[in-house]
Formats: sequence, C-alpha cells, structure tokens
Amino acid sequence: MTKVDIKIHVNGDWYELAVNPGERLIDVLRDRLDLSGTKEGCGEGECGACTVNLDGQAVLSCLILAAQADGCTILTIEGLQKGLELHPLQKAFVGESAVQCGFCTPGMIMTAKALLNNEAEPDENSIRKHLSNNLCRCTGYDRPVKAVLKAAQDIKEDSNA
Amino acid sequence: MSVYFQVEEYHRPQNLAQAFGILSKFGNGTKVIAGGTDILPLRPGVKKIDPINHLVDISRLGLAYLKKESDHISIGAATTINTLGASPLFLTRSHRALSEAADAHSTATIRNRATVGGNLCTASPCGDLALPLLVLDAVLVAAGPEGKRYVPLESFFKGANYTALNKEELLLEIRLNLCSQKTGSSFLKLRRHQTAIDMAVVNVATALTFKNNRCEAAGIALGSVAPIPYRAKKAESVLAGTKLSKEVIHKAAATAAAEATPIDDVRATSAYRRKMVAVMVRRSLENSMRRCNQ
Repeated sequence: MTKVDIKIHVNGDWYELAVNPGERLIDVLRDRLDLSGTKEGCGEGECGACTVNLDGQAVLSCLILAAQADGCTILTIEGLQKGLELHPLQKAFVGESAVQCGFCTPGMIMTAKALLNNEAEPDENSIRKHLSNNLCRCTGYDRPVKAVLKAAQDIKEDSNA
Repeated sequence: MSVYFQVEEYHRPQNLAQAFGILSKFGNGTKVIAGGTDILPLRPGVKKIDPINHLVDISRLGLAYLKKESDHISIGAATTINTLGASPLFLTRSHRALSEAADAHSTATIRNRATVGGNLCTASPCGDLALPLLVLDAVLVAAGPEGKRYVPLESFFKGANYTALNKEELLLEIRLNLCSQKTGSSFLKLRRHQTAIDMAVVNVATALTFKNNRCEAAGIALGSVAPIPYRAKKAESVLAGTKLSKEVIHKAAATAAAEATPIDDVRATSAYRRKMVAVMVRRSLENSMRRCNQ
C-alpha cells in the first residue's frame, strides 16, 4: 500500500499528511485531527451526520477519500465559532431548542451553513429541502427549520448594523 | 485505518494518456473514481464484492464542463449533478427532463460530488439521469489508448452495473442534440418518500416532438423495471404519427406497462411497479405534451 501525501486546509490551518489510499475524509478529521464534532452515522451517504463544507459546499465526509480532498478548504463544526463567540447558526440552534440528542446537529448546521453561503435569505421550503439531507429522529425538523430562519435573519441584521 | 473502505493504491493521473496507461497496466481490480459517491459505499470484505486494488481519480482531468456548441450540447463526464441541475441549458422545454432528473437524484449534498458520467457508468437499473438522456438520444464519447469512439446511450448499458466501456476506456463526454422548438420532455420519479433520499420504485422520462399537429417523434424511457434503463419501443410506436389523443396516451401507457419486466424487492412488488409504469408514463407524456406547445 502506498501512502498518499496531501495538504488540506481545515478550519483555517494547513495540514500536511500522509494518508492511506482508502482513508476517508471523515477518518482524517476525527482520528488524525481530533475534530470529533463531525459524526459518522451510516458511513454510506444516507444520513448526513458527517456533512462538512468543502470549498464552501456541503459534502459528505464519509463519501470522500482524504486523497481527493488534497488542496481543498474544509470547514467543520469546530471552525464555525470565532474565539468564544458562537456562530449565529449555533446560537440559533441553542436558542430555538433545535437540538435533542444532538448527533445530527453538526451535520445539520454544516448543511445550513452551505445553504446560507448560496442563499442569504432562504425561504422555509428551501430550508426544508436542504435539511432533508440530514436524518433527525428527535426534533421532527420544525425547530431546526426555525433556527435556520432565525440565523439567516440574525446574520442579515448583523451585517446591517 | 477505516474499516469501511479499503484500496491498495490511489492514482491521480495528470492527463488522459497517464489515465489510460494506469487502466491498461492494472486491468482487473481497478476502478475509476470521480465524485466517489457510488464507490465509497462499496465495502469489499463487508459487502460481497471483489476487492478494489487500484483507484484512478479522474476528477481533475478537466472533464467538468457544460458547453453549448452550434449543433449540440456537451456535458463533461465529471460534471456534478448539481451543476447540471442549476444550468439554464436544461430549463428549455425540450431538455427540461434532464433538469428534473438532476433535481430528483439523491440529496443536494450527494449531488455536490456525484457526477453525470458516474451515474451512467455505475449503470444502475434505476439511474435517474439515464432516462432523460435516453429519450434525448444522447451519444457518449468514450476514449481509450486506441482513440475516441462514439456510443449511443441506447447501446451503452449491457446489464446491471455493466456497460459497453472496455477496461482501458473512460467516458469523456455526453452529447445532446439541440432539439426543435416543438419538442417537450419530462421526467418523473416515484419513490417511497418523495422528499427524501431513496432510489426509484419506478422512474420515467418522455420526449415528444410535434409537427403539423401530429406527433413526429416520441421517446419513452423506463427505469427500475428491468436490468437496465431502456427505451419502451412498442409504446413509442403507439404514439408516432398520431394526434396524441387521450385514448392514444392511455394505450401507450398500457403498452409500456406490458413491456416492463419488473421484479419484487424491498421497495415494491413487481405488480405494483407494473401498475405504476402505466400511471407514470401517462403523467409524463401529459407533461411533455404541454411543453411542446400543444
């Protein structure tokens, strides 16, 4: 087995790593970089728990080889907050009680983050459609949807302030 | 190391010649990877499949593009399904089926990585993009060490997960004719949960072209009801040359259902699938008719 040398930009820092050819992005994030906020649910692309942002887009870290992420910029749930200040999405998920067991939450927030990158003011339909990428068996989705709406509004108000 | 996915070597060729070289050298046990969304769930050792020894990554060979040429549209094989779905090229009446299929495919997160070429080369019986491309008479550009060749999509699928590509060949591009103003197309997908990720119970694409108040050409493609996505030729012949009355459309839908050879599986029974073929073909033909300005 030949190791693959890669360089990835994760949450603001560059990492140079020699990875196994079959190693997935989620394995690198969790096991090598200790970024265990990204969860592994099904491991085959059904549940969305492992969603991270790759070059600004929501992707499933269980379906990407680490070798394929070479040169890419990755944002995980740990990279959202600035210092001790939570990201508006994180605040809104707390404020709207959109978290129950919490296992799907990091993935859900990263899906929402990518959505807000593309649509600053998504309507409820768009949010529901995007959050359907993430399986949640606790909340029934109502509160997460409200949280994303709230976060979008907060971000808009902050930028106007 | 991951217990989920295992492979001996990862190759990222810098150009096509290098890619063909690797494919020729290693032969069996080599798989081409682009988005990876069909490859990574394969777990040799966990699922009953042959080990993958070599992966050839073609995602950085400049194969991700959409181009409108004077007489055709070219889709690079490594174009992601979301790129296709977001393109205004396929919002026209004639090519709408493609945009609808892109939107119905899996979830937005998967579509950010999954590619058009990958969806075809996986050759799943229920592959969504195959159907609109079949009714729009897509031609595939394949290439290998000996050069390029053109393969009509209709003769590309050879069986479930099995295509006309040789081991050393790559799919480079999908070509579509620019259709006449009088063509309308539509795609429909029935699944157990309409909003969520799931493969089709039945998926259908149709395309109709009208001339002088008559149906000049009709295409009906069916998915999930045979080992490969295919054109329902008998049903198409029911429509050609007619004025597409309600009765004719019903007859074509019934013919398509009779032609289908569905199986029972976890998603639906064979009998249900056959009934739904008739319903979905009828609805899709009605959509296509509306779109061809009739």
